[in-house]
Amino acid sequence: MMLATQLTHLAPVDVVILLLYFAMVIFIGFYVKGSTNTSEEFFLAGREMSAWIAGLSFVSANLGSLELMGWAGAAYQYGILATHWYWIGAIPAMLFLGIVMMPFYYISKTHSVPGYLQLRFGEGARGLSGVCFAFMTVLMSGVNMYSMALVMKVVLGWNINFSMWVGAITVAIYVMLGGLRSAIINEVLQFVLIWAGAALIPILGLIEAGGWTSLKAQIIARMGDPAYMHLWSTIGSFDTNPMGVHWTGIVFGLGFVISFGYWTTDFLVVQRVLSANNLRAARLAPIIGSAFKMFVPFFVILPGLLALVLLKDSAGHIIQLYPDGSDMVVNHGAHSFNEVLPLMMVRYLGPGLLGLGITALVAGFMSGMAGNVSAFSTVWTYDIYGAYINKKASDAHYVLMGRWSTIIGMAVSVGTAYLVMGAASIMDYVQELFSFFIAPLFGTVILGMLWKRATKAGGFWGLLAGTAASIGMWLAVLHDKANIRFMILEPHASADTILRVQAMAANLYRALWSWCVCVLVTVVVSYMTKPMPEASLTGLVYGSTVIPHDGSTNLFEKPMFWAIVVATVLFVLNLWLW
Amino acid sequence: MTTPHHVDPSTEQSLSIWFFVGVLMLACGVIIFCEGIYEFSHPPATVLANLHPAFWWGLLMTLFGGFYTIRFRPGKG
Repeated sequence: MMLATQLTHLAPVDVVILLLYFAMVIFIGFYVKGSTNTSEEFFLAGREMSAWIAGLSFVSANLGSLELMGWAGAAYQYGILATHWYWIGAIPAMLFLGIVMMPFYYISKTHSVPGYLQLRFGEGARGLSGVCFAFMTVLMSGVNMYSMALVMKVVLGWNINFSMWVGAITVAIYVMLGGLRSAIINEVLQFVLIWAGAALIPILGLIEAGGWTSLKAQIIARMGDPAYMHLWSTIGSFDTNPMGVHWTGIVFGLGFVISFGYWTTDFLVVQRVLSANNLRAARLAPIIGSAFKMFVPFFVILPGLLALVLLKDSAGHIIQLYPDGSDMVVNHGAHSFNEVLPLMMVRYLGPGLLGLGITALVAGFMSGMAGNVSAFSTVWTYDIYGAYINKKASDAHYVLMGRWSTIIGMAVSVGTAYLVMGAASIMDYVQELFSFFIAPLFGTVILGMLWKRATKAGGFWGLLAGTAASIGMWLAVLHDKANIRFMILEPHASADTILRVQAMAANLYRALWSWCVCVLVTVVVSYMTKPMPEASLTGLVYGSTVIPHDGSTNLFEKPMFWAIVVATVLFVLNLWLW
Repeated sequence: MTTPHHVDPSTEQSLSIWFFVGVLMLACGVIIFCEGIYEFSHPPATVLANLHPAFWWGLLMTLFGGFYTIRFRPGKG
């Protein structure tokens, strides 16, 4: 993503908007500090958030700028197939969380996902997931920090050290002061900023392209391949679509394991819903989040598609973008796929609007750091420090530990950011690391919630085996890419197929198999060990728990009604772009 | 380790989350709207500047932000 020259520069009016945002987030940190005195307030925002706030924060925690820019680039590279990551790769899981899983998280009064594992499977599973999660979050926060600094350098020519330290100090201040509450307020702000800052690009783009039908025709004419504009009809084979994916990978790997793993067991997002003020709000929050998530492709995927035919140089020639790190990008000053969103911003947004767009990107990065670091401080304080190091401290002591762990978490993140700066490939590894853990974790949590016979030993060994299997598969592919053919169950796959699938499909199948290993080992070990007494499962497992009425009095208050509405719209959208 | 406090920050505290949203949108909206007026005489070198996006978007944000600022202003409950 390195360029010799910056894309644009900010006018004074843009700087004013950016400064306004910084002033507001710092003010919010100091403002909410007064109401952040207990551990429940610091780590779970007092469980006082309405369904709308928890829902927007839930979807916003995932709407990081790295995501936005990466998927806009993926849409440019692979076409409309990238939308799967926002639709089937998110919505069903979010609805499942709201309808099926949330009651158990909420009734058990757990403060974290590792906390639920402790209640259900004991200390072993909690320790393993807590340590892995804490480790991952500080690394991810560092990756976000470095990415923000890099984007600011590429787009605006800012010094990398300056951007990193300003971002890190601001986030550390507002999370340390206000905990999850301040992180949630900033996530809601970020959500609104992203809509305000980015929605104008697809609107103006569609006007310039002459509407959706005309855009489709132009893209197919330019790419010479209708597959760029179809969601499902081209993924019957690895070789007939630009992404090299197969529908089994999309449905089972992405739509089931990865998506359910991320949206239902990644504490970073689940923590937002746990802050809801009652069971109905906790169930509605993911459903509200899913409705907004469904429209994110409008300002992420659509700009990537628009760029395929509208991004032109001053002479009117279409600008071709290239992969990061390619010869054209590194040696010839060409732009990379990931720059497509900033390039479209610069194309349409003049002074003021550009400042708003850049502020939205900065807010996205900072909120990504804040989300990770607030989840880190919760898991560290509750599930590591409070569970193994100092079990009997006062509530005030744990709040103080939460504040200190925020600062230490940010310091480690800064260290990670510098590490990534030294070797960019570390960034890919960190992102891969996250996937090692999430798919098997989903296997453990879902069996824990839905299957009474799962035992403590089954949960722990299943989680360990699934994680080990995921790491094993990753190492096998790192050692020899040809090993991918076993993961996709095509032992005779050609070198060309392997090359096509290695970027995307390999991750989907690794997640799928590691989940299967986790489930298989959990089931086998559970049957080999003594069943847990029914009484110990109350409030934790389906069948042993009476789920209280959520308080909805009419159809429009029922989470299930809105889940069906969202599912129907999702179905229609998929049919439309079949 | 828990001491629940029954205070709803979106209603009982003096400043609600939606108020922050309103103020930020209003402030940005006014700035962009003013820039949009200026651009009628000094158009920027962007594509489709003839549609005056800053003027219209700024106006929309001002209305949105203004509504939220007033609706959730401190002390309104």
